[in-house]
Amino acid sequence: MSEILNTLMQDARVWQGQHHTRTSRPTESTGYQVLDNQLGGAGWPRGALSECLLDEPGIGELHLLLPLMQRLSQAEKTVFWLNPPHIPYAPALAREGVNLDQVILINTEDDGDFLWTLENCLRSPVTGLVMAWPGKLATRDIRRLQLAAEAGSNVCVLFRERRHAEQNSPAALRLDLTAGSQQALKVNVLKRRGSWPGQYCSVAMGHRADLAFREAPRVVQGPWADKAG
Amino acid sequence: MLWLYLHFPHLLLDHIRRSHENQSALAVVEGSGQKVIQACPEACAQGVHAGMRLKTAISLVPELGMVRADHQQEARILESQACWLYRYAAHIVLVPPDGLLAEVGSLQRLYGGLAAVWQTVEQGLEERQLNAWIAIGHTPLSARLIARTGKGECTADKGHILRTLGQMSLLAAEFDDKTCTRLQRIGLNTLDDVFSLPAGELARRLSPETLAYVQKIQGNRADPQTPWQPPHTFRQQADFVQEIEQSQGLLFPLQRILSELEEDLCWRQQDTDSLLLVLRHRHQEPTRIRVRTSGPEHRAEAFLNLIRLRFEQHPLRAPVISLVLSVKRFLGREAASGQDLLGETQDLSEAWHTLISRLQARLGEHSLRQLSPQADHRPERAWSASEVQRKKHICLSSPNPLPRRPLWLLKGPQPLAEAPTMWFSGPERISGGWWDGQRVHRDYYIAELSTGQLAWVFRDVRDGWFVHGWFG
Repeated sequence: MSEILNTLMQDARVWQGQHHTRTSRPTESTGYQVLDNQLGGAGWPRGALSECLLDEPGIGELHLLLPLMQRLSQAEKTVFWLNPPHIPYAPALAREGVNLDQVILINTEDDGDFLWTLENCLRSPVTGLVMAWPGKLATRDIRRLQLAAEAGSNVCVLFRERRHAEQNSPAALRLDLTAGSQQALKVNVLKRRGSWPGQYCSVAMGHRADLAFREAPRVVQGPWADKAG
Repeated sequence: MLWLYLHFPHLLLDHIRRSHENQSALAVVEGSGQKVIQACPEACAQGVHAGMRLKTAISLVPELGMVRADHQQEARILESQACWLYRYAAHIVLVPPDGLLAEVGSLQRLYGGLAAVWQTVEQGLEERQLNAWIAIGHTPLSARLIARTGKGECTADKGHILRTLGQMSLLAAEFDDKTCTRLQRIGLNTLDDVFSLPAGELARRLSPETLAYVQKIQGNRADPQTPWQPPHTFRQQADFVQEIEQSQGLLFPLQRILSELEEDLCWRQQDTDSLLLVLRHRHQEPTRIRVRTSGPEHRAEAFLNLIRLRFEQHPLRAPVISLVLSVKRFLGREAASGQDLLGETQDLSEAWHTLISRLQARLGEHSLRQLSPQADHRPERAWSASEVQRKKHICLSSPNPLPRRPLWLLKGPQPLAEAPTMWFSGPERISGGWWDGQRVHRDYYIAELSTGQLAWVFRDVRDGWFVHGWFG
């Protein structure tokens, strides 16, 4: 038995995990230590696609990208918002220290324009981060975007619905985002290039509404209760 | 003073021929459409010549392209020739319909001799695929007469010029018919004969005007010329004999016009950020296309790429008979900054302009927006979107910190469907807008919904509950 195994190993027909050398790819820190640890100490991959899968807005998905947005916009890199579902609120962004001169909002009318715009943004050296909310994307399109992302060296995050988790995707990083308890954001790594998926962590996001300092949420007696009662 | 005269024997023909990729037989027909005035070499080779009746010409060459002569158009074309000649000579006079006069005596030292001036002008003509007969004379009229007979020589010798003039027949010297006949009756046949007459006799026997004309040719009488001033705009036109149906066909003439624009901008040391392209159709209103770049630009290639993108997005509405490209807005050129001596730091400003211009050309200028906060208490008015501009200044953080706001604002408040599970802060009362009729009177709360979303909800005066934003 062991002879057969030895032969196999000598022939190099079996790939051995222990010899796996970690390839270092350019990354950008997420700004959250907990998440960085789960991502192998790296962060958002540069020059590759990332996907965030979530169903509802308002669970802290933008705050996940906010440290990166702050850092890039202050380094004079442009941040593109492509077809966002709601209005990125300028006073909130300004308050968080994002340089609004570097934020550009783009709305496209059809899928062809969307892909063309995204590709052009990805290939440009001025782009730091592209956040895109695609409508429908075929795997072929994602492949095309992945190639464009490789041509540049910026971070591209696609926000998609969670039902796409089943669909396979060439994106380098896929995160499944759900709301956790205490206003935290539960991040489930579905795919990570060069490593195993399945890491799981919960990122505290209470600070997005100034709630971090409270041990337990102080419940304000809302007028709603009066009305309901 | 020395004058250089350019006589364009078939300017209209040259103008039209250079906008065409394939050279086919072409003729310019007089206004009434009866006679051929000018014929291109291809047409001449097939037997068409100037002065021929149009019917004869068509039966000789059935596929003959025809252009009707138009004085206004000719004047415009002549002026555009003056534009480029102005780069070489300062004092230019337009001699409609087909001549340009330039003072070159003062340029000899600059160019290093008359031959160099001559060569420069010839080169300019060649670059623009124009045919012209050049001549030099010591007076404006002598230069003109010699140029029109095609005997121009590069010489500043007055005696030689006068000898050339002397051999000219009276008809070539452009005396009017009546004077011509009278001179011939006296027995004079060449200009030399007229020159040798005493001035007093000439005035008495013929007319003082004839004397003045002769003296102006000889240079014994002042012949002041008003210098032409170039316009502060750029305008180039291309006319087509056959209508162009595909936008692809417009790119060829555009390429030439844009490279002239580039040359013009380089010469002015200026840039531009907006071009106006007007496409004329036979039966429809002209199409006006405004091409904007997001920053100063002068390269023909960059403009052509933007125009190509526009053509891809908007196909032609109708076949095009002529196109005009004009630039009215000029910007001072900035020295490339942010690049050190060794070129190690990359200047991204240009890449930024290229990207934004490309996106704007395809998506339209209104699809790209920049956000900024506004000083208003009402949340829907506390932000604004404007067209993208490269700003140099750095926004200073405002001294009083902005209140906590959600990162997502809904396009309009949405009714709250369910009771929130948790309330965090509030109420924050926002009341205002009584001054412009957009009254807002609301109490805002931060609440968590059962789905885990953090919402910015409010109750208005009518006791309705709405979601206005998400803490994304």
